[in-house]
Amino acid sequence: MENHQSEDTHIKPCEYDPNVNQDELIMAQEKQIAEEIKANTSMIGSLQGLGSLAKEYSNDPVYSSKVRTLLPKFSNVRRTRPDGNCFLRGFIFAYLEYCIHHRDELTRFKKYLEGSKEELFEMGFPKFTTEDFHDMFMEVVNDLEGSGSVGRVEAVCNDAGTSDYLVVYLRLLISAHLQKNAEFFSFFIEGGRTVEEFCKQEVEPMYRECDHLHIVALTAAIGVGVRVMYLDRGEGAAVVSHDFPEDKEPIIHLLYRPGHYDILYKA
Amino acid sequence: MIATRLLKKELQDLGRDPPAQCSAGPVGDDLFHWQATIMGPPESPFQGGVFFLTIHFPTDYPFKPPKVAFTTRIYHPNINSNGSICLDILRSQWSPALTISKVLLSICSLLTDPNPEDPLVPEIARVYKTDREKYNELAREWTRKYAM
Repeated sequence: MENHQSEDTHIKPCEYDPNVNQDELIMAQEKQIAEEIKANTSMIGSLQGLGSLAKEYSNDPVYSSKVRTLLPKFSNVRRTRPDGNCFLRGFIFAYLEYCIHHRDELTRFKKYLEGSKEELFEMGFPKFTTEDFHDMFMEVVNDLEGSGSVGRVEAVCNDAGTSDYLVVYLRLLISAHLQKNAEFFSFFIEGGRTVEEFCKQEVEPMYRECDHLHIVALTAAIGVGVRVMYLDRGEGAAVVSHDFPEDKEPIIHLLYRPGHYDILYKA
Repeated sequence: MIATRLLKKELQDLGRDPPAQCSAGPVGDDLFHWQATIMGPPESPFQGGVFFLTIHFPTDYPFKPPKVAFTTRIYHPNINSNGSICLDILRSQWSPALTISKVLLSICSLLTDPNPEDPLVPEIARVYKTDREKYNELAREWTRKYAM
């Protein structure tokens, strides 16, 4: 009780001061948190055994039993930085890594990317920024086509500028796909917003987390199958999974824990 | 560095295709610190005024938004006495695809159409909502006093 009281004396009422920009205070605090995360985790971590996940949850019976279910199916995990870009960063790393081993897919992806620029221009995305993101993406793909190795993909995805550019371009592709199919997607958007508003608020800004809608749009736009394994507090030891798009054989596997995606490797 | 390369491109683009009623460019040699001007839009009480702004680009531009502030005083519900601007694209809705030219045009639209529902200066928002004539008069007066 005493403790509680002493705590109360520290709480000062939040007075409104018109000369202080509250948005800026919030942004400053968010920035500080983001800096801490940045200092402590790589954008794409190194390959770890799935045992590291089991260890993390050794004191948690619900998660432990689910991790045990995953163990025979998956051998490794790669952790991504939890900065709101984790799905996109995980996706593009896993996809480029797949492309290194499947050159046909790299050729197909390159062709898709080449065509995507004009499509974005037609949708009204600002020309010179969009072009800059696109050109950087093409550079990365061309580079991998030549001397591609997993080490190279790791380096690219951990280089702040390059990695973020890839993420930005994926966001534009998602936004374009959603807006092109606005009639369909409008049924799934909450809060009485239009598809365009949703894209401006939840898709195009960096660090905004991806949910189902983003994943549906990205996998459909690029034509790549992704399986997400959901690790949550749901009952039983079973791990629910979902394939995007439903009719496509997944080539990328991601582990979802509330608010975060990491990359999984099949055993 | 991406920010440097992109800012050079922005500068070229602004020179080639400058937005109406606006101009912007670096202060001295520092590519990350710009000054901009906005001419008070016609059909707004700011018409005839020239408003100065500073733009600071963060090192991780364009992933983070530029900091834009008025240095000329202005009577507006979404701009306070420090020159801070309450505009969604400068905060949560910043997108790396946006350019300075788009930002300046959005600020011009904000001058023509204030957003009194999300005010930075509640008192000005109140006047704007309850007594438009007085708002226009005060805005014109401040424009004459500070921006001409």
